[in-house]
Amino acid sequence: MTDAEITVIGAGPSGMVAATTLSKVGYHVEIIEQRETLGGAIYRQPVESAMAGGPAAGSNARWKTIRNAFVKQAIPVRCGTVFLGIDGDGLVLIEDRRKGRVERLRRKGVVVAVGAVEKVYPRTGWHLPGVSTAGGLQVMMKETGRAPEGRVLLAGNGPLLIAVAAQMARLGNPPAALVEAGDPFGHMATGVALLKHPALLQEALLYLMDVYRSRIPWLRGAHVTSIEKEGPALLVRIERKGLEKRMSVDRIGLHDGIRCNDFGLPPETLSSKDAPVVVRAGDCREALGAIAAEADGARAAQRLANILSGSAEASGLDAAINRTRQAQDLLARLFAPIGNVSPLAICSDETILCRCEAKTVGDLRSLCQHLHPMTGREVKLNGRFAMGACQGRFCADNTASLMALMNADSADLPPRAEDLTGRRWPVRPVSIAALTAAANPNTEKPNNEVEQDDAS
Amino acid sequence: MSGQTFVWKGKDVPFRSGESIAAALEAAGVFSFGTDTFGQDFRYFCGIGACQGCLVRVDGLLREACLTVARPGMRVGSPEDGHD
Ligand code: FES
Repeated sequence: MTDAEITVIGAGPSGMVAATTLSKVGYHVEIIEQRETLGGAIYRQPVESAMAGGPAAGSNARWKTIRNAFVKQAIPVRCGTVFLGIDGDGLVLIEDRRKGRVERLRRKGVVVAVGAVEKVYPRTGWHLPGVSTAGGLQVMMKETGRAPEGRVLLAGNGPLLIAVAAQMARLGNPPAALVEAGDPFGHMATGVALLKHPALLQEALLYLMDVYRSRIPWLRGAHVTSIEKEGPALLVRIERKGLEKRMSVDRIGLHDGIRCNDFGLPPETLSSKDAPVVVRAGDCREALGAIAAEADGARAAQRLANILSGSAEASGLDAAINRTRQAQDLLARLFAPIGNVSPLAICSDETILCRCEAKTVGDLRSLCQHLHPMTGREVKLNGRFAMGACQGRFCADNTASLMALMNADSADLPPRAEDLTGRRWPVRPVSIAALTAAANPNTEKPNNEVEQDDAS
Repeated sequence: MSGQTFVWKGKDVPFRSGESIAAALEAAGVFSFGTDTFGQDFRYFCGIGACQGCLVRVDGLLREACLTVARPGMRVGSPEDGHD
Protein backbone atom coordinates (compact mmCIF):
# COMPACT_ATOMS: atom_id res chain seq x y z
CA MET A 1 0.00 0.00 0.00
CA THR A 2 1.27 3.43 -0.87
CA ASP A 3 1.71 6.15 1.71
CA ALA A 4 1.46 9.04 -0.74
CA GLU A 5 0.43 12.42 0.68
CA ILE A 6 -0.76 13.76 -2.64
CA THR A 7 -2.52 12.06 -5.55
CA VAL A 8 -2.31 13.61 -8.99
CA ILE A 9 -5.12 12.53 -11.31
CA GLY A 10 -4.16 12.33 -14.96
CA ALA A 11 -0.72 11.84 -16.49
CA GLY A 12 -0.91 14.41 -19.27
CA PRO A 13 1.50 17.36 -19.35
CA SER A 14 -0.13 19.32 -16.50
CA GLY A 15 -0.41 16.32 -14.18
CA MET A 16 3.14 15.16 -14.85
CA VAL A 17 4.61 18.63 -14.32
CA ALA A 18 2.53 19.07 -11.15
CA ALA A 19 3.72 15.72 -9.79
CA THR A 20 7.34 16.49 -10.65
CA THR A 21 7.14 19.92 -9.01
CA LEU A 22 5.58 18.55 -5.81
CA SER A 23 8.05 15.70 -5.60
CA LYS A 24 10.98 18.10 -5.98
CA VAL A 25 9.87 20.09 -2.94
CA GLY A 26 9.69 16.91 -0.91
CA TYR A 27 6.11 15.65 -1.03
CA HIS A 28 5.30 11.97 -1.46
CA VAL A 29 3.29 12.06 -4.67
CA GLU A 30 1.62 9.37 -6.72
CA ILE A 31 -0.05 9.78 -10.09
CA ILE A 32 -2.99 7.82 -11.42
CA GLU A 33 -3.75 7.46 -15.12
CA GLN A 34 -6.71 5.82 -16.86
CA ARG A 35 -4.62 4.49 -19.75
CA GLU A 36 -1.60 2.20 -19.68
CA THR A 37 0.77 4.92 -20.90
CA LEU A 38 1.83 8.41 -19.83
CA GLY A 39 1.48 11.58 -21.87
CA GLY A 40 -2.25 12.27 -22.03
CA ALA A 41 -4.11 12.79 -25.29
CA ILE A 42 -1.62 15.34 -26.57
CA TYR A 43 1.44 13.11 -26.12
CA ARG A 44 -0.31 9.78 -26.75
CA GLN A 45 2.49 7.28 -27.22
CA PRO A 46 2.64 5.07 -30.30
CA VAL A 47 2.40 1.33 -29.82
CA GLU A 48 5.52 -0.71 -30.49
CA SER A 49 6.32 -0.89 -34.20
CA ALA A 50 4.23 2.19 -35.02
CA MET A 51 6.77 4.94 -35.44
CA ALA A 52 5.77 6.45 -38.77
CA GLY A 53 4.14 9.86 -38.61
CA GLY A 54 5.28 10.47 -35.06
CA PRO A 55 4.80 13.81 -33.38
CA ALA A 56 6.29 17.02 -34.78
CA ALA A 57 9.86 17.71 -33.63
CA GLY A 58 8.94 20.63 -31.34
CA SER A 59 6.26 18.73 -29.49
CA ASN A 60 8.50 15.67 -29.26
CA ALA A 61 11.19 17.76 -27.54
CA ARG A 62 8.65 19.16 -25.06
CA TRP A 63 7.45 15.65 -24.25
CA LYS A 64 10.98 14.38 -23.67
CA THR A 65 11.68 17.24 -21.26
CA ILE A 66 8.48 16.57 -19.29
CA ARG A 67 9.06 12.82 -19.21
CA ASN A 68 12.73 12.97 -18.24
CA ALA A 69 12.08 15.35 -15.35
CA PHE A 70 9.21 13.13 -14.22
CA VAL A 71 11.20 9.89 -14.45
CA LYS A 72 14.05 11.43 -12.44
CA GLN A 73 11.73 11.89 -9.43
CA ALA A 74 10.79 8.18 -9.45
CA ILE A 75 7.13 9.02 -8.83
CA PRO A 76 4.88 5.97 -8.42
CA VAL A 77 2.48 5.65 -11.35
CA ARG A 78 -0.74 3.68 -11.24
CA CYS A 79 -1.98 3.02 -14.76
CA GLY A 80 -5.36 1.60 -15.66
CA THR A 81 -6.83 3.53 -12.75
CA VAL A 82 -9.75 5.94 -12.94
CA PHE A 83 -10.78 8.66 -10.52
CA LEU A 84 -14.33 8.36 -9.19
CA GLY A 85 -14.61 11.30 -6.81
CA ILE A 86 -14.11 12.44 -3.23
CA ASP A 87 -16.62 11.00 -0.79
CA GLY A 88 -18.35 12.60 2.17
CA ASP A 89 -15.49 11.57 4.47
CA GLY A 90 -12.96 13.40 2.30
CA LEU A 91 -11.53 10.13 0.96
CA VAL A 92 -10.35 9.93 -2.61
CA LEU A 93 -12.10 7.13 -4.52
CA ILE A 94 -10.28 5.45 -7.35
CA GLU A 95 -10.99 2.31 -9.34
CA ASP A 96 -7.86 0.30 -9.97
CA ARG A 97 -8.92 -1.74 -12.97
CA ARG A 98 -5.77 -3.83 -12.98
CA LYS A 99 -6.62 -5.10 -9.53
CA GLY A 100 -10.33 -4.92 -10.24
CA ARG A 101 -11.25 -2.92 -7.17
CA VAL A 102 -12.23 0.46 -5.81
CA GLU A 103 -9.95 2.04 -3.21
CA ARG A 104 -10.50 4.89 -0.78
CA LEU A 105 -7.41 6.95 -0.10
CA ARG A 106 -6.74 9.49 2.65
CA ARG A 107 -4.70 12.31 1.15
CA LYS A 108 -3.52 15.77 2.14
CA GLY A 109 -3.82 17.06 -1.37
CA VAL A 110 -5.24 16.18 -4.77
CA VAL A 111 -4.30 17.69 -8.12
CA VAL A 112 -7.03 17.11 -10.67
CA ALA A 113 -5.55 17.21 -14.17
CA VAL A 114 -8.06 15.41 -16.36
CA GLY A 115 -7.71 17.60 -19.45
CA ALA A 116 -10.23 18.77 -21.99
CA VAL A 117 -13.02 17.32 -24.08
CA GLU A 118 -13.96 18.34 -27.59
CA LYS A 119 -17.08 20.28 -28.31
CA VAL A 120 -19.23 18.73 -31.00
CA TYR A 121 -22.44 20.35 -32.17
CA PRO A 122 -25.26 17.96 -32.99
CA ARG A 123 -26.00 17.35 -36.65
CA THR A 124 -28.46 14.71 -37.81
CA GLY A 125 -26.56 11.42 -37.71
CA TRP A 126 -23.55 12.62 -35.70
CA HIS A 127 -23.84 9.59 -33.42
CA LEU A 128 -23.51 6.94 -36.17
CA PRO A 129 -20.61 4.46 -36.24
CA GLY A 130 -17.82 5.81 -38.45
CA VAL A 131 -18.37 9.31 -37.06
CA SER A 132 -16.00 10.32 -34.28
CA THR A 133 -14.47 13.49 -32.99
CA ALA A 134 -11.55 14.81 -35.04
CA GLY A 135 -9.44 14.59 -31.90
CA GLY A 136 -10.52 10.94 -31.64
CA LEU A 137 -9.07 10.36 -35.11
CA GLN A 138 -5.94 12.22 -34.06
CA VAL A 139 -5.21 10.23 -30.89
CA MET A 140 -5.83 7.04 -32.85
CA MET A 141 -3.24 8.13 -35.43
CA LYS A 142 -0.75 8.86 -32.67
CA GLU A 143 -1.37 5.46 -31.14
CA THR A 144 -1.32 3.33 -34.27
CA GLY A 145 0.84 5.34 -36.68
CA ARG A 146 -1.88 4.76 -39.29
CA ALA A 147 -4.28 7.22 -40.89
CA PRO A 148 -7.96 6.31 -40.80
CA GLU A 149 -8.77 4.34 -43.95
CA GLY A 150 -11.07 5.18 -46.84
CA ARG A 151 -12.58 8.53 -47.68
CA VAL A 152 -12.52 10.71 -44.59
CA LEU A 153 -14.28 14.02 -44.08
CA LEU A 154 -13.20 16.48 -41.38
CA ALA A 155 -15.78 19.05 -40.37
CA GLY A 156 -16.53 21.69 -37.77
CA ASN A 157 -14.57 24.65 -36.59
CA GLY A 158 -11.09 25.63 -35.56
CA PRO A 159 -7.40 25.02 -36.17
CA LEU A 160 -7.35 21.44 -34.87
CA LEU A 161 -9.08 20.30 -38.08
CA ILE A 162 -6.13 21.56 -40.11
CA ALA A 163 -3.66 19.81 -37.83
CA VAL A 164 -5.56 16.52 -38.19
CA ALA A 165 -5.77 16.96 -41.98
CA ALA A 166 -2.01 17.53 -42.13
CA GLN A 167 -1.29 14.49 -39.98
CA MET A 168 -3.51 12.34 -42.17
CA ALA A 169 -1.73 13.61 -45.27
CA ARG A 170 1.65 12.74 -43.75
CA LEU A 171 0.45 9.26 -42.97
CA GLY A 172 -0.62 8.79 -46.58
CA ASN A 173 -4.40 9.34 -46.57
CA PRO A 174 -5.33 13.03 -46.79
CA PRO A 175 -8.99 13.73 -45.99
CA ALA A 176 -11.47 13.98 -48.88
CA ALA A 177 -12.38 17.48 -47.68
CA LEU A 178 -12.14 19.85 -44.76
CA VAL A 179 -15.38 21.65 -43.91
CA GLU A 180 -14.77 24.77 -41.80
CA ALA A 181 -17.48 27.01 -40.32
CA GLY A 182 -15.17 30.02 -40.22
CA ASP A 183 -13.03 31.71 -42.83
CA PRO A 184 -9.59 32.58 -41.43
CA PHE A 185 -8.68 34.33 -44.71
CA GLY A 186 -11.46 36.80 -44.04
CA HIS A 187 -9.66 38.19 -40.98
CA MET A 188 -6.29 39.32 -42.27
CA ALA A 189 -5.70 41.88 -39.51
CA THR A 190 -6.18 39.19 -36.88
CA GLY A 191 -3.87 36.92 -38.84
CA VAL A 192 -1.17 39.58 -38.76
CA ALA A 193 -1.51 39.80 -34.97
CA LEU A 194 -0.43 36.14 -34.86
CA LEU A 195 3.07 37.36 -35.74
CA LYS A 196 3.43 38.02 -32.02
CA HIS A 197 3.21 34.26 -31.51
CA PRO A 198 5.86 32.98 -33.91
CA ALA A 199 5.89 29.37 -32.68
CA LEU A 200 2.15 29.05 -33.13
CA LEU A 201 2.25 30.76 -36.52
CA GLN A 202 5.02 28.52 -37.73
CA GLU A 203 3.15 25.41 -36.68
CA ALA A 204 -0.04 26.66 -38.36
CA LEU A 205 1.81 27.43 -41.60
CA LEU A 206 3.44 24.01 -41.68
CA TYR A 207 0.04 22.35 -41.35
CA LEU A 208 -1.48 24.64 -43.98
CA MET A 209 1.33 23.79 -46.38
CA ASP A 210 0.58 20.09 -45.95
CA VAL A 211 -3.09 20.78 -46.63
CA TYR A 212 -2.27 22.66 -49.84
CA ARG A 213 0.37 20.23 -51.01
CA SER A 214 -2.10 17.36 -50.71
CA ARG A 215 -4.77 19.42 -52.51
CA ILE A 216 -7.29 18.88 -49.75
CA PRO A 217 -10.43 20.89 -50.58
CA TRP A 218 -10.89 23.40 -47.74
CA LEU A 219 -14.52 24.50 -47.73
CA ARG A 220 -14.68 27.61 -45.55
CA GLY A 221 -17.88 29.17 -44.27
CA ALA A 222 -19.50 25.73 -44.62
CA HIS A 223 -21.38 23.32 -42.32
CA VAL A 224 -22.25 19.66 -42.29
CA THR A 225 -26.03 19.66 -41.90
CA SER A 226 -26.69 15.92 -41.85
CA ILE A 227 -25.12 12.49 -42.01
CA GLU A 228 -27.00 9.38 -43.15
CA LYS A 229 -26.12 5.75 -43.59
CA GLU A 230 -25.86 4.85 -47.25
CA GLY A 231 -25.01 1.16 -47.47
CA PRO A 232 -21.60 0.76 -45.87
CA ALA A 233 -20.84 4.46 -46.46
CA LEU A 234 -22.01 7.74 -44.96
CA LEU A 235 -23.85 10.34 -47.02
CA VAL A 236 -23.03 13.84 -45.86
CA ARG A 237 -24.88 17.03 -46.73
CA ILE A 238 -22.80 20.18 -46.61
CA GLU A 239 -24.29 23.65 -46.72
CA ARG A 240 -22.26 26.56 -48.05
CA LYS A 241 -23.61 29.95 -49.06
CA GLY A 242 -27.12 28.55 -49.32
CA LEU A 243 -26.03 25.73 -51.65
CA GLU A 244 -26.06 22.05 -50.75
CA LYS A 245 -23.23 19.73 -51.62
CA ARG A 246 -23.35 15.98 -51.02
CA MET A 247 -20.46 13.67 -50.41
CA SER A 248 -20.20 9.98 -49.78
CA VAL A 249 -17.47 9.09 -47.30
CA ASP A 250 -16.38 6.25 -45.00
CA ARG A 251 -15.35 8.17 -41.90
CA ILE A 252 -16.11 11.59 -40.46
CA GLY A 253 -14.19 13.55 -37.83
CA LEU A 254 -16.19 16.33 -36.15
CA HIS A 255 -14.75 19.08 -33.96
CA ASP A 256 -16.17 22.43 -32.83
CA GLY A 257 -13.54 23.45 -30.28
CA ILE A 258 -12.49 22.23 -26.86
CA ARG A 259 -13.71 22.84 -23.33
CA CYS A 260 -12.67 21.89 -19.80
CA ASN A 261 -13.41 18.31 -18.84
CA ASP A 262 -14.76 19.52 -15.51
CA PHE A 263 -17.86 17.32 -15.38
CA GLY A 264 -18.59 15.86 -11.98
CA LEU A 265 -15.25 17.01 -10.57
CA PRO A 266 -14.96 17.98 -6.92
CA PRO A 267 -14.68 21.74 -6.44
CA GLU A 268 -11.32 23.25 -5.62
CA THR A 269 -10.88 23.50 -1.84
CA LEU A 270 -8.12 25.90 -1.10
CA SER A 271 -7.77 26.07 2.65
CA SER A 272 -5.37 24.09 4.76
CA LYS A 273 -8.37 23.19 6.94
CA ASP A 274 -9.80 21.19 4.05
CA ALA A 275 -8.75 17.61 3.79
CA PRO A 276 -7.88 16.99 1.10
CA VAL A 277 -6.93 20.32 -0.48
CA VAL A 278 -8.07 20.03 -4.10
CA VAL A 279 -6.56 22.06 -6.94
CA ARG A 280 -7.18 21.79 -10.67
CA ALA A 281 -4.43 22.00 -13.25
CA GLY A 282 -4.24 22.35 -17.01
CA ASP A 283 -7.08 22.03 -19.49
CA CYS A 284 -9.65 20.93 -16.90
CA ARG A 285 -9.16 24.32 -15.21
CA GLU A 286 -8.98 26.36 -18.39
CA ALA A 287 -8.75 24.76 -21.82
CA LEU A 288 -5.66 26.42 -23.28
CA GLY A 289 -3.72 23.50 -24.72
CA ALA A 290 -0.50 21.64 -24.00
CA ILE A 291 1.98 24.47 -23.55
CA ALA A 292 -0.16 26.35 -21.04
CA ALA A 293 -0.97 23.03 -19.35
CA GLU A 294 2.70 22.58 -18.41
CA ALA A 295 2.89 26.06 -16.88
CA ASP A 296 -0.43 25.50 -15.14
CA GLY A 297 0.72 22.19 -13.70
CA ALA A 298 3.66 23.96 -12.07
CA ARG A 299 1.40 26.77 -10.86
CA ALA A 300 -1.13 24.35 -9.35
CA ALA A 301 1.64 22.38 -7.63
CA GLN A 302 3.12 25.55 -6.16
CA ARG A 303 -0.27 26.62 -4.94
CA LEU A 304 -0.96 23.28 -3.29
CA ALA A 305 2.48 23.23 -1.67
CA ASN A 306 1.95 26.75 -0.34
CA ILE A 307 -1.42 25.88 1.17
CA LEU A 308 -0.12 22.69 2.74
CA SER A 309 2.92 24.42 4.20
CA GLY A 310 0.91 27.44 5.33
CA SER A 311 2.95 29.96 3.36
CA ALA A 312 1.48 32.93 1.48
CA GLU A 313 -0.48 32.09 -1.61
CA ALA A 314 1.39 32.29 -4.92
CA SER A 315 0.51 35.27 -7.06
CA GLY A 316 -2.00 34.42 -9.74
CA LEU A 317 -1.25 32.80 -13.06
CA ASP A 318 2.06 33.18 -14.71
CA ALA A 319 3.03 34.87 -17.94
CA ALA A 320 3.11 31.73 -20.09
CA ILE A 321 -0.54 31.07 -19.33
CA ASN A 322 -1.56 34.65 -20.17
CA ARG A 323 0.35 34.51 -23.42
CA THR A 324 -1.39 31.32 -24.52
CA ARG A 325 -4.71 32.82 -23.55
CA GLN A 326 -4.02 35.77 -25.89
CA ALA A 327 -3.01 33.40 -28.67
CA GLN A 328 -6.16 31.32 -28.18
CA ASP A 329 -8.30 34.48 -28.31
CA LEU A 330 -6.67 35.43 -31.60
CA LEU A 331 -7.30 31.98 -33.05
CA ALA A 332 -10.93 32.10 -31.92
CA ARG A 333 -11.39 35.42 -33.74
CA LEU A 334 -9.58 34.13 -36.81
CA PHE A 335 -11.85 31.08 -36.98
CA ALA A 336 -15.07 32.85 -35.95
CA PRO A 337 -17.92 31.02 -37.73
CA ILE A 338 -19.35 32.83 -40.74
CA GLY A 339 -22.98 33.98 -40.44
CA ASN A 340 -24.82 34.46 -37.21
CA VAL A 341 -27.15 31.48 -37.20
CA SER A 342 -26.38 29.09 -34.36
CA PRO A 343 -25.65 25.58 -35.68
CA LEU A 344 -28.11 24.42 -33.01
CA ALA A 345 -30.93 26.49 -34.47
CA ILE A 346 -30.87 24.57 -37.75
CA CYS A 347 -30.99 21.04 -36.27
CA SER A 348 -34.00 18.95 -37.31
CA ASP A 349 -36.27 17.65 -34.56
CA GLU A 350 -34.98 14.10 -35.13
CA THR A 351 -31.39 15.10 -34.37
CA ILE A 352 -30.01 13.31 -31.32
CA LEU A 353 -28.97 15.84 -28.71
CA CYS A 354 -28.15 13.55 -25.78
CA ARG A 355 -26.81 10.31 -27.20
CA CYS A 356 -26.57 8.32 -23.99
CA GLU A 357 -30.31 8.69 -23.37
CA ALA A 358 -31.33 8.94 -27.06
CA LYS A 359 -32.98 12.32 -26.50
CA THR A 360 -33.65 14.48 -29.54
CA VAL A 361 -33.99 18.16 -30.35
CA GLY A 362 -37.74 17.50 -30.69
CA ASP A 363 -37.88 15.99 -27.18
CA LEU A 364 -36.31 19.15 -25.80
CA ARG A 365 -38.69 21.30 -27.82
CA SER A 366 -41.73 19.61 -26.31
CA LEU A 367 -40.29 20.03 -22.80
CA CYS A 368 -39.68 23.70 -23.48
CA GLN A 369 -43.22 24.25 -24.72
CA HIS A 370 -44.53 24.10 -21.16
CA LEU A 371 -46.12 27.31 -20.00
CA HIS A 372 -43.27 28.08 -17.67
CA PRO A 373 -39.84 27.62 -19.15
CA MET A 374 -38.06 24.77 -17.42
CA THR A 375 -34.80 25.12 -15.61
CA GLY A 376 -31.77 23.09 -16.63
CA ARG A 377 -32.33 20.85 -13.64
CA GLU A 378 -35.95 20.19 -14.58
CA VAL A 379 -34.97 19.34 -18.14
CA LYS A 380 -32.48 16.87 -16.77
CA LEU A 381 -34.79 15.25 -14.23
CA ASN A 382 -37.97 15.26 -16.36
CA GLY A 383 -36.38 14.81 -19.74
CA ARG A 384 -33.32 12.69 -18.87
CA PHE A 385 -31.04 15.04 -20.77
CA ALA A 386 -27.42 14.79 -19.56
CA MET A 387 -28.40 11.88 -17.28
CA GLY A 388 -26.43 9.22 -19.11
CA ALA A 389 -23.04 7.61 -18.85
CA CYS A 390 -21.10 10.51 -20.41
CA GLN A 391 -22.53 12.75 -17.66
CA GLY A 392 -23.35 15.48 -20.14
CA ARG A 393 -19.82 15.84 -21.47
CA PHE A 394 -21.09 15.94 -25.04
CA CYS A 395 -24.65 17.24 -24.60
CA ALA A 396 -24.91 19.58 -21.61
CA ASP A 397 -23.53 22.65 -23.42
CA ASN A 398 -25.63 21.98 -26.50
CA THR A 399 -28.79 21.32 -24.49
CA ALA A 400 -28.30 24.48 -22.42
CA SER A 401 -27.66 26.62 -25.51
CA LEU A 402 -30.62 25.18 -27.35
CA MET A 403 -32.87 25.76 -24.33
CA ALA A 404 -31.74 29.37 -24.32
CA LEU A 405 -32.70 29.64 -28.02
CA MET A 406 -36.06 27.94 -27.48
CA ASN A 407 -36.85 30.14 -24.48
CA ALA A 408 -35.38 33.25 -26.04
CA ASP A 409 -38.31 35.46 -25.01
CA SER A 410 -38.26 34.30 -21.39
CA ALA A 411 -37.15 36.76 -18.73
CA ASP A 412 -35.34 34.03 -16.80
CA LEU A 413 -31.60 33.68 -16.92
CA PRO A 414 -30.50 31.28 -19.67
CA PRO A 415 -29.57 27.84 -18.32
CA ARG A 416 -25.92 26.87 -18.01
CA ALA A 417 -24.37 23.49 -18.71
CA GLU A 418 -23.67 23.14 -14.96
CA ASP A 419 -27.40 23.42 -14.25
CA LEU A 420 -27.83 20.22 -16.23
CA THR A 421 -24.83 18.28 -15.03
CA GLY A 422 -24.77 19.33 -11.40
CA ARG A 423 -21.84 18.21 -9.29
CA ARG A 424 -22.24 14.49 -9.32
CA TRP A 425 -19.81 11.80 -8.61
CA PRO A 426 -18.75 9.14 -9.45
CA VAL A 427 -17.03 10.84 -12.33
CA ARG A 428 -17.27 7.47 -14.11
CA PRO A 429 -19.92 4.77 -13.99
CA VAL A 430 -19.04 2.20 -11.34
CA SER A 431 -21.11 -0.53 -9.73
CA ILE A 432 -22.65 -0.19 -6.30
CA ALA A 433 -21.09 -3.57 -5.44
CA ALA A 434 -17.57 -2.24 -6.09
CA LEU A 435 -18.25 0.88 -4.02
CA THR A 436 -19.68 -1.14 -1.15
CA ALA A 437 -16.70 -3.47 -1.25
CA ALA A 438 -14.42 -0.42 -0.96
CA ALA A 439 -16.39 0.96 1.97
CA ASN A 440 -16.23 -2.40 3.81
CA PRO A 441 -12.87 -3.90 2.94
CA ASN A 442 -13.70 -7.04 4.94
CA THR A 443 -16.53 -8.00 2.62
CA GLU A 444 -14.53 -7.45 -0.52
CA LYS A 445 -15.97 -9.16 -3.56
CA PRO A 446 -13.91 -11.45 -5.76
CA ASN A 447 -12.56 -9.65 -8.82
CA ASN A 448 -15.00 -10.99 -11.34
CA GLU A 449 -17.97 -9.53 -9.54
CA VAL A 450 -16.60 -6.00 -9.60
CA GLU A 451 -18.12 -4.40 -12.58
CA GLN A 452 -19.33 -1.13 -13.98
CA ASP A 453 -23.03 -0.51 -14.26
CA ASP A 454 -24.45 -0.99 -17.68
CA ALA A 455 -24.43 2.30 -19.49
CA SER A 456 -27.91 1.81 -20.82
CA MET B 1 5.57 -8.70 -31.39
CA SER B 2 3.04 -9.83 -33.98
CA GLY B 3 0.77 -12.81 -34.28
CA GLN B 4 -1.21 -11.95 -31.14
CA THR B 5 -4.98 -12.11 -31.23
CA PHE B 6 -7.99 -11.61 -29.02
CA VAL B 7 -11.46 -12.98 -29.61
CA TRP B 8 -14.15 -10.60 -30.88
CA LYS B 9 -17.53 -12.36 -30.97
CA GLY B 10 -15.91 -15.72 -31.63
CA LYS B 11 -13.46 -14.47 -34.26
CA ASP B 12 -9.74 -13.87 -33.81
CA VAL B 13 -8.69 -10.23 -34.19
CA PRO B 14 -4.96 -9.50 -34.49
CA PHE B 15 -3.35 -6.62 -32.59
CA ARG B 16 0.08 -5.13 -31.90
CA SER B 17 1.50 -4.93 -28.38
CA GLY B 18 0.13 -1.94 -26.52
CA GLU B 19 -2.72 -1.33 -28.94
CA SER B 20 -6.20 -0.53 -27.60
CA ILE B 21 -9.15 -2.77 -28.38
CA ALA B 22 -10.64 0.14 -30.36
CA ALA B 23 -7.53 0.41 -32.55
CA ALA B 24 -7.49 -3.32 -33.26
CA LEU B 25 -11.21 -3.40 -34.07
CA GLU B 26 -10.82 -0.42 -36.39
CA ALA B 27 -8.00 -2.18 -38.22
CA ALA B 28 -10.29 -5.21 -38.54
CA GLY B 29 -13.01 -3.01 -40.04
CA VAL B 30 -15.36 -3.26 -37.02
CA PHE B 31 -17.04 0.10 -36.40
CA SER B 32 -20.18 -0.86 -34.51
CA PHE B 33 -19.52 -2.57 -31.19
CA GLY B 34 -23.16 -3.46 -30.53
CA THR B 35 -26.37 -1.62 -29.73
CA ASP B 36 -27.76 -0.04 -26.58
CA THR B 37 -31.34 -0.36 -25.30
CA PHE B 38 -32.40 2.50 -27.61
CA GLY B 39 -31.02 0.69 -30.66
CA GLN B 40 -28.10 3.10 -31.08
CA ASP B 41 -24.67 1.73 -31.81
CA PHE B 42 -21.79 1.61 -29.40
CA ARG B 43 -18.88 3.04 -31.39
CA TYR B 44 -15.55 4.79 -31.06
CA PHE B 45 -16.11 8.53 -30.67
CA CYS B 46 -13.92 10.64 -28.37
CA GLY B 47 -10.88 8.36 -27.96
CA ILE B 48 -10.20 9.61 -24.42
CA GLY B 49 -12.60 7.76 -22.14
CA ALA B 50 -15.04 10.66 -21.93
CA CYS B 51 -18.09 9.71 -24.02
CA GLN B 52 -18.65 6.14 -22.79
CA GLY B 53 -19.90 5.38 -26.30
CA CYS B 54 -17.31 2.72 -27.06
CA LEU B 55 -18.22 0.26 -24.30
CA VAL B 56 -17.51 -3.41 -24.95
CA ARG B 57 -17.58 -6.43 -22.70
CA VAL B 58 -14.09 -7.67 -21.91
CA ASP B 59 -13.98 -11.04 -20.17
CA GLY B 60 -17.38 -10.22 -18.71
CA LEU B 61 -16.64 -6.63 -17.62
CA LEU B 62 -17.81 -3.45 -19.32
CA ARG B 63 -14.83 -1.46 -20.50
CA GLU B 64 -14.11 1.47 -22.80
CA ALA B 65 -12.58 0.02 -25.99
CA CYS B 66 -10.53 3.21 -26.43
CA LEU B 67 -8.84 2.88 -23.02
CA THR B 68 -8.41 -0.85 -22.72
CA VAL B 69 -5.22 -2.38 -24.03
CA ALA B 70 -5.71 -5.59 -25.99
CA ARG B 71 -4.22 -8.75 -24.47
CA PRO B 72 -3.80 -12.16 -26.05
CA GLY B 73 -6.82 -14.39 -25.64
CA MET B 74 -9.14 -11.73 -24.23
CA ARG B 75 -12.79 -12.41 -24.95
CA VAL B 76 -14.40 -9.24 -26.24
CA GLY B 77 -18.03 -8.77 -27.23
CA SER B 78 -20.89 -6.30 -27.32
CA PRO B 79 -22.12 -4.87 -24.02
CA GLU B 80 -25.44 -6.65 -24.52
CA ASP B 81 -23.74 -10.03 -24.98
CA GLY B 82 -23.70 -10.47 -21.23
CA HIS B 83 -21.23 -12.58 -19.34
CA ASP B 84 -19.82 -15.50 -21.22
S1 FES C 1 -14.44 6.60 -27.48
FE1 FES C 1 -15.31 7.89 -25.96
S2 FES C 1 -15.00 6.68 -24.16
FE2 FES C 1 -14.02 5.52 -25.69
